[in-house]
Amino acid sequence: MPTRSPLPRLCGLAGLVTLALCSGALAAPKKVTGYGSLGITNGKPGGTYTLALGDSPQSLFYYGVIDNNLGLISQQLFDGLVEFNYATYKVEPALAESWTISPDGRTYTFRLRQGVKWSDGQAFDADDVVFTYSQIIMNPEARAGDAASFKLDGKQVEVRKVNANTVRFVLPRPSPAFLLQMRSFIMPKHKLLRYSQEGGAKPADINTAWPSNVREADVVGTGPFRLSNYTAGQKVTLTRNPNYWKVDARGTKLPYLAGLEFLIIRDPQAQVAQFLAGNIDQLNISGAQFPDLKQREVAGAPFKVFRSTALFGSPPFVAYNFDAKNAALARVFSDVRFRRAMQSALNRERIIDTVYNGLASAPGHGIAPVNREWYANTTRQLGSFNLAAAGQALDALGLRDTNRDGIRNLPGGGNLEFDLTYGTDSSVYPAIATILQSDFARIGVKVNLRGILSSRLLSTGQSGDWEMILHAFGDQPDPELRKPIWQPGGALYYWHRSLQPAQDGGRPNLTRMASWEREIYNIFEDAAVTTSASRRKALYTRWQLLFAQNLPVTPIAKPENIGAVSNKFGNYIYNLGVIPGYNPVPLIYQK
Amino acid sequence: MLTYALRRILGMVPTLLLISVVCFVVIRLQPGSFIDQYLEDPRVTRETVELVTRQLGLDQPAYVQYLTWIKGIVTEGDFGYSFVNGRPVSSLIWERLGWTVFLAVLTLLVSWAIAIPLGIYTALNRYGPGATILNFFGYVSLATPDFLVALLLIALVLNFGGTNVGGLFSPQFIDAPWSLAKFLDLLNHLWIPMIAIGLEGVAGLMRQMRASMLDVINQDYVRTARAKGLAANRVLWRHAVRNAVNPLISLAGLSLPSLISGTIIASIVLNLPTIGPFLYDSLLNKDQYVAMTLLLFSALLLLVGNLLADLALAWADPRIRFE
Repeated sequence: MPTRSPLPRLCGLAGLVTLALCSGALAAPKKVTGYGSLGITNGKPGGTYTLALGDSPQSLFYYGVIDNNLGLISQQLFDGLVEFNYATYKVEPALAESWTISPDGRTYTFRLRQGVKWSDGQAFDADDVVFTYSQIIMNPEARAGDAASFKLDGKQVEVRKVNANTVRFVLPRPSPAFLLQMRSFIMPKHKLLRYSQEGGAKPADINTAWPSNVREADVVGTGPFRLSNYTAGQKVTLTRNPNYWKVDARGTKLPYLAGLEFLIIRDPQAQVAQFLAGNIDQLNISGAQFPDLKQREVAGAPFKVFRSTALFGSPPFVAYNFDAKNAALARVFSDVRFRRAMQSALNRERIIDTVYNGLASAPGHGIAPVNREWYANTTRQLGSFNLAAAGQALDALGLRDTNRDGIRNLPGGGNLEFDLTYGTDSSVYPAIATILQSDFARIGVKVNLRGILSSRLLSTGQSGDWEMILHAFGDQPDPELRKPIWQPGGALYYWHRSLQPAQDGGRPNLTRMASWEREIYNIFEDAAVTTSASRRKALYTRWQLLFAQNLPVTPIAKPENIGAVSNKFGNYIYNLGVIPGYNPVPLIYQK
Repeated sequence: MLTYALRRILGMVPTLLLISVVCFVVIRLQPGSFIDQYLEDPRVTRETVELVTRQLGLDQPAYVQYLTWIKGIVTEGDFGYSFVNGRPVSSLIWERLGWTVFLAVLTLLVSWAIAIPLGIYTALNRYGPGATILNFFGYVSLATPDFLVALLLIALVLNFGGTNVGGLFSPQFIDAPWSLAKFLDLLNHLWIPMIAIGLEGVAGLMRQMRASMLDVINQDYVRTARAKGLAANRVLWRHAVRNAVNPLISLAGLSLPSLISGTIIASIVLNLPTIGPFLYDSLLNKDQYVAMTLLLFSALLLLVGNLLADLALAWADPRIRFE
């Protein structure tokens, strides 16, 4: 019989503590409890919950394709060693029941939860974990693997089986965010061995495992559900995994639901129509759709619309190309006074009101304001919308309208005129771009809109062929996870491309960095090897202030997340989408 | 006739080759590549991008990619791999072909069955109130895009509290075995795509039939037939309609490729499991072998459609000879 234990919460704090805090009990299912603040109650078993899927899954093997739709399904089929607490986003035990971290921060030893079974009845053990990490995740040919995160300073992280229930990772250097990498889904060795190098296949063959026409019974996981049927282009049906390892506060086996279905519906309007018709039970919607659905809710429709200031989600920003092809523009864009002046011409309130229907708030700088563990209050540096001040600042920079054509001139005489690259197939980018264009025009800065597909934004940014860009990167709980984005010279730090190292993994061009960029660079280097939590907090606080003052990019707003759920179901917790280690669906029950 | 058909079929080969080259060039001219979508994910390093590029053969020169693909088709009947799905293109198309053909054939039959009589009626009663009303509706439905009709129908159904908004089945029937209930559920869903997709076809065909009928009923031989005292019905069906229907047979041949690309937007809006959205996705993702196979298939259907139409014309009209 499972007994209530304080283990989950203790272990949640264990991230940086180097003692063995948790000692496992035998065959202990995880008790999911303590979410009263989120409105979670004891549910009852049964019922089928239907969700929408934006397109057919491209494969059923999570590490074979980068595909959001597959991610949504995989999240219900597999688990990681650790997971997030639904309320605090702290790391908790999942398939690992407990872990220890050596005092030098380089050895992580995980004790696996005993008695866990794969959905086909086979026992889950250390071999599966070692197999998943060494043969799949660390395989650079796996298209959706994560080999880069397991190579620190060019050296491979080692993963070893200690005994059937213990796995050890040895790192070349300390990595305080390493525990978060342990959220990766563990795959069944007994089903996937023959696609791996260990099983005699070529490294790239792993991508061919479990194609979308795989026999359903071959897709085996430890997750709350198992694959029961896939009808191409129409529907994915999952049924309850009777072997799941979580129970609720009363000891009732989770998940409550007997089945989970995904209807494949491409068009967002069609998804809303299916939701209104009652064929879909839950849907994440945009700020633009909120008023219509909320009105229907108030008028008595059988669903509720929830707003959530969740940690995840992508706050949009604008960036100016420090290395723009036009040298005069590049010089202006590199000047922090210009970027600050343009921030005063950025009407955040109007964007929040008209583009997001008020369902957004002031952004943080690299950290979501709701992330209490790391967020430093930078709201003062956001300034306020003031066109007169923006104009004066541009005047002071010598960017005046010398030829009286209504557009300011660059020092060389050319117009202060540039392209704004944005994604056309988005519900927010086009509207934000138009607002920026009209406000900037009022202070004599001419912006030409250049629309591209949103999926091309990053590659365009990285190609350097742009002047100003409107883009977004997702927020994560730990800043370490966003290092390639925000560390100058990082692979995704594309607004100052000339800092990037000549070779992948090499040292960035430090001499070209502004002093604040060099400081941010050093902060990320230090924080990546510091094990002291307070020291990391101090470093990342300094980074956020430098970010806010120097504006490598100018954040615009932090959108709220909005979900609508049918009244037939209880225990709904907002879920952005694919966040490994954050899956509240097992708690949902049919009333 | 057999030699004629064979000659036509052989003539298709160079045409198809030329079309495949054009398709390939056009796809390659699009900015970006399949790998772009991988860049957005922080897990993907430059090393992975290079490895995936090599896995997919995208590191080779374009002409090598093209020749490898063509060689696969000719020697092994292998249409290549889908980058996105990691599966052979042919099996992916096969999966979606059933419903696509079903919907296309059904729409064709329904629209012909409605359009031909209406065309004849509006031609014969040119100035009557009935024809005027029908013509008016014809114009309106010609001018309304099919996806808009689909959206309006969905809104209408929702307002009346219906749940059959999009798709071909209610969720619980999608993977259920066939039964009477499933068949009725299909009928309950089918009428929306039939109207949305078929309406434009009905209007177009009706106008075509009317124009062609008007041409014919003023011909001398029709007047002569009437003057000789032939029964009105006999004149109409045996002489007028039989001659008027010729242009429509050609038209039917040309409509075969719409099986693939005809109803992309309506299929997305109505959530139909057909090939159209699959083609659209493959073009967006630069899944080049899927896109090329589908475009080639579409070209083949056009050529085959033309051939069938010509053969049908010869059968329907003894005046036409194979030269």
